[in-house]
Amino acid sequence: MDSTIDAANSVAATDDPQAAKDAIDAFTDALQTVGKWFQDGEWFLAELVYAGEISKETMKILTPLIEGGTLESIGTIVVGTVAGDLHDLGKNIFISYAKSAGFNVIDLGIDVSTDRFIEAVRVHKPQTLGMSCLLTSTDMEIGKVIEELKRQQLRDQVKVIIGGAALTQQFADGVGADAFAPDAVTGTDIVRKWSSS
Amino acid sequence: MDFKERILTTLNHEEPDRVPVAGFILSQVTSNRILGKQTADFADMLETADLRRGLMDIMNSSWLDMINSALADWFEAAITLGYDANWTIYSQMEVVEEPKFKQGLAMHDIWVRAFELRVDKDGNTAANYVHGLCTTENDWYSWVERNRPLYDELINNVREHHRLMAEKFGDRILAIGSPGSGVFDNTWQPMGFENFCRFVYQKPEFMRKVIEFHTDLLLRHLNAIMDSGVELVVGGDDLGQKTGPLMSPEQMEKLFGESYRRVSEAVHSRKKKLLWHTDGNVYALLDKFVEWGFDGVVSLEPTAGMALGEVREQVGHKLVLVGNLDIAYLLVRGTKEEMEDAVRKAIKDAAKGGGFILSPCNSHSAIDPMRLEWMVEAAHKYGMYPIAI
Ligand code: B12
Repeated sequence: MDSTIDAANSVAATDDPQAAKDAIDAFTDALQTVGKWFQDGEWFLAELVYAGEISKETMKILTPLIEGGTLESIGTIVVGTVAGDLHDLGKNIFISYAKSAGFNVIDLGIDVSTDRFIEAVRVHKPQTLGMSCLLTSTDMEIGKVIEELKRQQLRDQVKVIIGGAALTQQFADGVGADAFAPDAVTGTDIVRKWSSS
Repeated sequence: MDFKERILTTLNHEEPDRVPVAGFILSQVTSNRILGKQTADFADMLETADLRRGLMDIMNSSWLDMINSALADWFEAAITLGYDANWTIYSQMEVVEEPKFKQGLAMHDIWVRAFELRVDKDGNTAANYVHGLCTTENDWYSWVERNRPLYDELINNVREHHRLMAEKFGDRILAIGSPGSGVFDNTWQPMGFENFCRFVYQKPEFMRKVIEFHTDLLLRHLNAIMDSGVELVVGGDDLGQKTGPLMSPEQMEKLFGESYRRVSEAVHSRKKKLLWHTDGNVYALLDKFVEWGFDGVVSLEPTAGMALGEVREQVGHKLVLVGNLDIAYLLVRGTKEEMEDAVRKAIKDAAKGGGFILSPCNSHSAIDPMRLEWMVEAAHKYGMYPIAI
């Protein structure tokens, strides 16, 4: 981490938004590679998480240079773990990858009720709502949120992506989510595609 | 054969009269449903500050009794179901007020984790780990100092709890003594996984000290359990997630190898057996389990891709296999036929030559008692040795 931070600091010292943007792009590419290694089973979760941590620190240094400058966030994502579920490692990894890809991410935390998800969609008007769920006993919470989005006529304003150990593509289809992500890297790829289309 | 001979025979990789069935930790709701008991509804109590404080005081002053009584119910329920063995577990916690949690109460355990205490409308009380209480190296040292007097209390209570359980149930079911989480979980959870990953790379010496500290404490804990005469202990760390281990086998060896070896040696030196519980997909760690001296592995979570046939092929009879019944679907809403199929398949894939104990792969409150009964029935139907499937 130290050498990456040193490198980020020397870029920051130039006070040049373009240099910062190039550094962020290079960093995002590197993170993509880490993600692919993880998907291929070459790297393990601890390495993926540590890469995420390095990314957090680096972005803290580089993003102030470009804020208000040329690099705009490529979209807003609201993310949370559903009500009754307290697992958050997976959600947090998705968040650090999505942030590194340039998204503005609103993290609602764990054990998020339907009302809080809906409220956040109203307030932040995200393009994407992400829900994480690892427990079979709480998977129906996802359906509840999607139904509530429909009831409040918000469903067509937001794409819904879901992930977590309890879920499958089949479940996503059944409940009417737009996508299921088996891992954070695929999830980031999907939301990136949505934002560019 | 009685339950004890059955389990001990299978632990030696010999064929008992039939495949033993063991229970995973049961939730209070499940045990009450099995025993036909009413689950006390604390949910309303938690709404008012005074009653909440009252509940907190009661829990803190009668902690050991409370655990003993909950565990007694789990054991009665396990016996009712016809299990041959069930886990015992004792954890030392203090209930504290925590306005950030929905129902206003948290539990802090002596390993410095915060658990949210939650009572739902079905009366299910659950204490779930939410976060650690120390994010820096200094925090960790001051917490350990602060908690020092509590470690002796833990060891005394553990000894007392397991002695009582042995006295009350020893002639009806085999207790698998569990100290709860193991050195890996006790290391990362008090600081959170993200901080832990940072420390592994940035503060290896600190990590070494933390791991050594937890290993020493775990050894005291396990010895106190074994003092009660239990034959079998189960350590537990969540080492896997859905697609693979949380850490590479090389990194696990470097950080935790010595610790796990010490634990195995301590248990074996008392002529007892050591199982290790882990969730997730852990094919990549199975050979390490053998190297570290574990006698068996518990969970073998099917939804994370753990298939008994493949595990047996990889490790042969170097490990006893325990678990594998799905708790995501099968034990919640599977049909009787699906249950029979799953049990038959498990027995076919793992039971030849002994070394297999059928069990749910984990526990949660949505597990249906009727389906647990089906599981036991099917085990009795298909699990008679010699296996003829
Ligand atoms: C670590 C863990 C815990 C930790 C959680 C710590 C934390 N802060 O998160 C602790 C010990 C607290 C815990 C508690 C419990 N757990 Co748990 N836990 C696990 C374990 C071992 C790993 C989960 C994990 O963190 N994986 C690592 C992350 C990175 O993977 P992931 O979450 O799948 O996320 C990846 C993808 O799914 C995706 N993703 C995830 N979310 C999202 C969201 C979006 C939007 C996107 C795009 C992508 C995405 O990206 C991530 C990275 O690639 C799993 C085993 C397993 N098979 O997964 C059991 C597991 C999830 N737990 C389980 C259970 C039963 C429990 C408990 C009920 C245990 C108990 N008896 O008390 C409690 C429940 C607490 C609660 N109310 O939430 C069961 C759930 C079974 C089921 N189907 O219901 C599992 C599957 C274990 C098993 N053997 O069956 N657990």
